[in-house]
Amino acid sequence: MSSLYLLIPLALLLLAVSVWAFFWAVRRSQFDDLDSPALQILLDDDRAPPRAAEKRDA
Amino acid sequence: MDPASPSPVCFHCGSLIRNGEPLSVRIAGVAQPVCCAGCQAAATLILAQGLERFYEFRQPPTARPATAERNWSIFDRAAALRRYSHELASGERELTLQIEGLHCAACAWLIENSLQRERGVTEIHVNAASGRAQLRFDPRASCLSRLLQHIDALGFAPRPLSFSAGPPPDTAERRAALLRLGVAGFGMMQLMTFAVSLYAGVIQGMAEDLQQFLRFVSLAVATPVVLYSARPFFVSAWRSTRAGRPGMDVPVALSIGAAWLWSTWATLRGRGTVYFDSVVMFTFFLLLGRYVEMSLRHRSVVQQDALVRLLPESVLRLGPRAERVTPDELEANDCVRILPGERVPADGVIGSGSTEVDESLLTGESAPRARGPGDTLLAGTLNVSGTVEMRVLRVGPDSTLAAVARLLERAHAARPRIADFADRVASGFVMGVLLLATLVGLYWLQVDAARAFPTVLAVLVVTCPCALSLATPAALAAATTRLAHTGLLVARSRSLERLAHADRIVFDKTGTLTLGTPRLDEVVLLDARAARERCVAIAAALESHTAHPLARAFAHLNAAAGVTGTRSAAGRGIEGWIDGAHYRLGRLDYVLEGGTGAPVPAALRADPELARIVLADADGPLAAFRVNDAVRADARTTLAQLTRLGLIPLIASGDQPGAVALAAQRLGGIGARAGLRAGEKLAWVQQLQQAGHRVVMVGDGVNDAPVLAAADVSVAIASGADLAKVNADLVLLGAGLGALAGAVHTSRRTLRIIRQNLGWAVLYNLTAVPLAASGHLEPWMAALGMSGSSLLVVLNAMRLLKRNTARVEPGGVARLEAAPAEAAR
Repeated sequence: MSSLYLLIPLALLLLAVSVWAFFWAVRRSQFDDLDSPALQILLDDDRAPPRAAEKRDA
Repeated sequence: MDPASPSPVCFHCGSLIRNGEPLSVRIAGVAQPVCCAGCQAAATLILAQGLERFYEFRQPPTARPATAERNWSIFDRAAALRRYSHELASGERELTLQIEGLHCAACAWLIENSLQRERGVTEIHVNAASGRAQLRFDPRASCLSRLLQHIDALGFAPRPLSFSAGPPPDTAERRAALLRLGVAGFGMMQLMTFAVSLYAGVIQGMAEDLQQFLRFVSLAVATPVVLYSARPFFVSAWRSTRAGRPGMDVPVALSIGAAWLWSTWATLRGRGTVYFDSVVMFTFFLLLGRYVEMSLRHRSVVQQDALVRLLPESVLRLGPRAERVTPDELEANDCVRILPGERVPADGVIGSGSTEVDESLLTGESAPRARGPGDTLLAGTLNVSGTVEMRVLRVGPDSTLAAVARLLERAHAARPRIADFADRVASGFVMGVLLLATLVGLYWLQVDAARAFPTVLAVLVVTCPCALSLATPAALAAATTRLAHTGLLVARSRSLERLAHADRIVFDKTGTLTLGTPRLDEVVLLDARAARERCVAIAAALESHTAHPLARAFAHLNAAAGVTGTRSAAGRGIEGWIDGAHYRLGRLDYVLEGGTGAPVPAALRADPELARIVLADADGPLAAFRVNDAVRADARTTLAQLTRLGLIPLIASGDQPGAVALAAQRLGGIGARAGLRAGEKLAWVQQLQQAGHRVVMVGDGVNDAPVLAAADVSVAIASGADLAKVNADLVLLGAGLGALAGAVHTSRRTLRIIRQNLGWAVLYNLTAVPLAASGHLEPWMAALGMSGSSLLVVLNAMRLLKRNTARVEPGGVARLEAAPAEAAR
């Protein structure tokens, strides 16, 4: 049972890291738009987009 | 869908396709119909870039692109670039755009992917939720106007925001709520493991020092949750208590605070039960409910700067150095020149020139009014026929347009409110809970002091208004999602409750029941020389050279070729040469001016309406055209369905009595009032309300906005003026009114579900409270029961999302027609 005295503080450390990561993600707008990125992954383009130099000169 | 019988609905924007030349685009080898050249251009552009998958993933029909070419080059001026964008160290510029017509994630995807292929664009991110785009481009490789033009061509309307505008105000609130919810969620997950160990330890016999260790660890995890995540409950409880009206948050704050203090005390003492798990679980589920409710509210955000959208992008300012400027840059006493087809940028007085002005957005009058030197022009109105020079009197917040907006705000404040269930009972409920908890506490102190605190805590938690407060928002959220799939956007979800009770539905005519664009109804031949086809072709050719609103009736018709020497007389007519013959088209007195004095045909003397558009050649009148505002294709069936559902349709119009009566008769003889100004419409609606009716108002113009705000439920048509759109409870997207009847049906189902939910919540509390008060419930059981009850309420609400209900819904058919892209897949 004494391993718990090590494992639980480790779990708490992990918890602190996840909360920090969560704050980091929210503050960097990762959660501001939950709809479009979900779709973007579905709509992965089969063709490579034209390189900058070849961009259409509309 | 069978490609051989294409639906009469535009593939791109979902509008019903009216008369005229059939246009189409080829998608995957199949010709798909489109309604206008604008949609055709947008669809062709999307296909040319290989982005046709947009059509598979978009949700509501796309906005219809404006066909008129807009002049974006104004934004390339150094002054405008400084105003709307800022320079980065790399020499690139960054700016924020508000994009109109953005309805779903697929639209955002389309804009991002399409612009990324443009030269000079280094980065673009479109947020589908807020409709804002962050654009970074290199001014040395491209110019801003070209990029704006590109978005415009896709069928969306971009509007650069002044750089000071900042992020949308709700972002900060949403992020803070998400962080609180996240912290509570992490804390809850972690604490559960400790709590389960502790409970199991009690049964199996856990070492005392390990138990104490787990208590301290739980304290360490629960404390940030209470201090950070539960803060809003304490703040709100304190505020409501100080105001003398204790709200729902008082028992919440009390139970969280007391349980935490008690548990902390027990931990420090090393004796007694801890309730950290209940505290954190309670906080998390309450925050979750609030978060759902807040997401809904933010979707209905009223845009503060909606007014700006009725102003032109640019205007020609006269002076020592004449240049085009944005309306933001105008000041009083500036002199501006307004060309035909432009909107008036500010209130002012005409200095020279005369014209006709379409004021239908402010007055509801569909026919343009003549304006000459000394007359006042109002910001946001449309200059139809002539070029005028105007001295600016009032700009921005002083203009009439802004005054209409203020009138609107006042009407909002005066909206008759059916008080929310929670608001009405909150104070009484809370006092009851507190009283009950005190009594239970006093009783147990006498009987068994050790069990007093857990019992009081169980009572406080079990009576948590969680299920009660989730009952309504969960059902409304589900109904909102469901209606969005039928093409109806719910901006204020509370309005669904009122919609379910409505018994009168008042329609504006122009642009609502009718398409707002005139259509050629009848051709009366006045002379034996005239042939119907030829007359229509000549008229169409002549009308193509004028911007008069009535000319739009001829826009889709085959025009004769080779018109030369056209000259238009403001508000009266137009003349020109075709194949060597001279023709005049317009009012009877105008076309007879150049004629030989031929007698006025009897048909015209009998019917002055018919004398408004007459075609004549040198020898006299040839034909007369009757033009009417076309009634929407699904208006009649929708009205019939609404009548069956118990809503009596009425028309309130600012238009002339003749046109209104005709529309009313075509729609099945419904009640109508004509010639109403905005104030009179408002009075009529209020009169109906005083007679005990619940009134739904359907409109599209700015002049409707005060009426819309005063009605119990307001519905706006998305293609109408943006101001009305953002200030309505419900917004109809796409072409038809068809979704209305379905919405009424859904709102009634929603109300039934809300009642079931409230009934369950009350029943649950009635059973659980005696159990808790008699000491049969541990606090963790109370917290679990509370969560289970909330879950049940949410699951019940989810039933609204199911599409295939036993009864065929009236809106179902309209949905199929409005979504050929989905049906084809």
